[in-house]
Amino acid sequence: MAIAVSAEQLAKERLTRVEAAINLEEPDRVPIWGFGGEIVAKYAGITEHDMNYDSEKALMAIEKFARDFPFDTLGAGPGGLDGRVFCVAFAEHDDLSPLVTFITGPLHDIYGDKYTRFPGREISENATAQFRGGTFMEPDEYDQLIEDPVGFVAETILPRVCKNLETPRDAMATWVRVGMQLQKSAMQGAKLGEISAKLGYPMLPMGWAYAPLDIIGDFLRGVDKVVLDIHRYPDKVKKATEALKKPIIDYALAYARMGNKYAFIPLHLNEYLSPKLYKEFYWPTLKEVILALYEEGVKSIVFFEGHHEQHLETILDLPRGWGIAYFEKTDVVKAKEVLKDHTCVMGGVPISLIASGTPEKIDEFVKDLLEKVKPGGGFILTAGVGAVPAETPPENITALIEAVEKYGKY
Amino acid sequence: MTEKIFNSIVGMEEENALKFAKEYLNDGGDPQKLLDVCREAMDEVGEKFEKGEYFLSELLLSGEIFKGIMDLTLPLLKESEVETIGKIVLGTVQDDIHDIGKNIFKAFAEAAGFEVIDIGVDVPEEKFVEAVKEHNPDIVGMSCLITAGINPMKRTVEALKEAGLTGAKIIIGGGRVDEEIKEFSGADAWADDAARGVRLCKELLGLGVEG
Ligand code: B12
Repeated sequence: MAIAVSAEQLAKERLTRVEAAINLEEPDRVPIWGFGGEIVAKYAGITEHDMNYDSEKALMAIEKFARDFPFDTLGAGPGGLDGRVFCVAFAEHDDLSPLVTFITGPLHDIYGDKYTRFPGREISENATAQFRGGTFMEPDEYDQLIEDPVGFVAETILPRVCKNLETPRDAMATWVRVGMQLQKSAMQGAKLGEISAKLGYPMLPMGWAYAPLDIIGDFLRGVDKVVLDIHRYPDKVKKATEALKKPIIDYALAYARMGNKYAFIPLHLNEYLSPKLYKEFYWPTLKEVILALYEEGVKSIVFFEGHHEQHLETILDLPRGWGIAYFEKTDVVKAKEVLKDHTCVMGGVPISLIASGTPEKIDEFVKDLLEKVKPGGGFILTAGVGAVPAETPPENITALIEAVEKYGKY
Repeated sequence: MTEKIFNSIVGMEEENALKFAKEYLNDGGDPQKLLDVCREAMDEVGEKFEKGEYFLSELLLSGEIFKGIMDLTLPLLKESEVETIGKIVLGTVQDDIHDIGKNIFKAFAEAAGFEVIDIGVDVPEEKFVEAVKEHNPDIVGMSCLITAGINPMKRTVEALKEAGLTGAKIIIGGGRVDEEIKEFSGADAWADDAARGVRLCKELLGLGVEG
């Protein structure tokens, strides 16, 4: 049992296990990638507000969850919502662009941004933080975005999005406050690192990247509007994704320069687009981002949200062993057939099963799934969505971990 | 002309569809007939989606085209002339703000002849109860895209029961629902695509589903 080995030893075992899968080999057993979600706060008896605003309490909750649910990687993390548009604005500053990836609760208060709502602020203490997005750019502004993406985002978009960046004199104060807050977050990050090491979790230094079209959908035009834009102004949309490619690669590589070996890339518009549109407007620039990272020795973990069956084959355009394809609703059995010996596949367990199934059902499901996807290695098991609801029975998570121990050995 | 309109909707030609619809109405075309044509076209789009020929991008665009034509057409129809086959109260569940899928489902449900009362996003159970009391719908539709919405959905089903509002069938939809969640929440049906959702709504009301 795990108790006998030191934390260091455990971390090493786990890292070897995960890396073997990523390298398309058979590890000692199928790794189980950690997840968290609303359950982390609930399990420790703190509110979502605490999770987002009280660093000490949040760390306590993360530690408790990480201790009681021994995945192979650390799943729980501090609160925060995507703020990639800030990374674009800071893309010319390597030392800063990675730091503004997330809009945390305190940063939300400082920016006064309209993208998000936080528990204990605009929404109740126990609601999960909400990214609402919105429309902050009009179609006739595509030319400006194409011409100078960093300048347009920094000087035109951010002042529209953030109440406290509206005027230069407010912006001065806001950025100083942001800097001070980032210092505090860095301290929280360091403590999290200690907890992680203490509990025998492996170091998987993780940076982030984004698909250029998703920047436009999530932060500039709105997800539904960008889909309509593709039909209405195809050339402009395409040129805009090309223009955004450089700032995105710049900030993704800034992470690499900080020593990060992995980059997580969550995809949003993949499910929306027909294969034709995907290949024309989405995949080319995303592919270049992944390749730019790969060339610097960074492996991407691409989260193909929703259904990705219709685009599976495009993954084969990437070099063998480029990273991890993490699927949400795509059938991983089918995905593994297509990507066998080319790409490590991750996912497999529907969140609904964890949230509302029983330990017996979970055991049975994992047994059946692993029979199909285990052979040959290159598979990591995890929940289709890395966030389980607050009311999830904790014994379901334990059942999942135990089932992987039981049926995952090679 | 109606064939041109039909074809441009199904062919995703937004500008043409609106232009032809305008021309048709300006030339004294029958708005009721136009509505019927749009409905048939949306049916066809839904079918293509279910067959895997179309994707969400097409559903979204056709919904937009449909809305555009309806904005021209509905003012020309007296309320009594717009035949409806049932009433749906529709909202995204508490804690969830995703609404694109809900809006697409709404467009397709309306195209199929349902009257849809949209009560927005992040809708708490009390608000569903109120809306059902007020509108007395045949169907309550809940959209749920995040796992945090699963329990609120269950609570809403219970709240409706507790309030004695058992007349309406309950259908849930959205990316995070499946058979498991349907059972868990106590809903009557589930769908994670709009075309199937509309079909199920008709079935729930015992309306024959022809072609
Ligand atoms: C677009 C998107 C957004 C947009 C939403 C824009 C909007 N106005 O809706 C933005 C960027 C704002 C956003 C925000 C957030 N999102 Co989001 N988002 C997505 C994404 C990529 C697509 C969702 C979508 O629009 N799908 C397309 C629509 C058309 O599909 P659909 O809703 O299923 O609808 C179809 C059918 O289901 C059906 N239907 C829909 N409703 C109904 C209702 C009835 C009654 C019926 C019969 C049928 C029906 O008809 C539709 C057409 O066929 C998904 C991932 C994915 N691919 O699912 C994540 C996803 C839903 N988001 C997620 C998250 C976590 C968030 C955020 C919390 C922020 C974050 N951490 O990034 C916030 C949400 C805040 C909150 N509390 O709600 C997670 C949810 C995870 C979880 N915990 O369950 C997902 C699953 C991504 C992921 N895999 O991690 N998101």
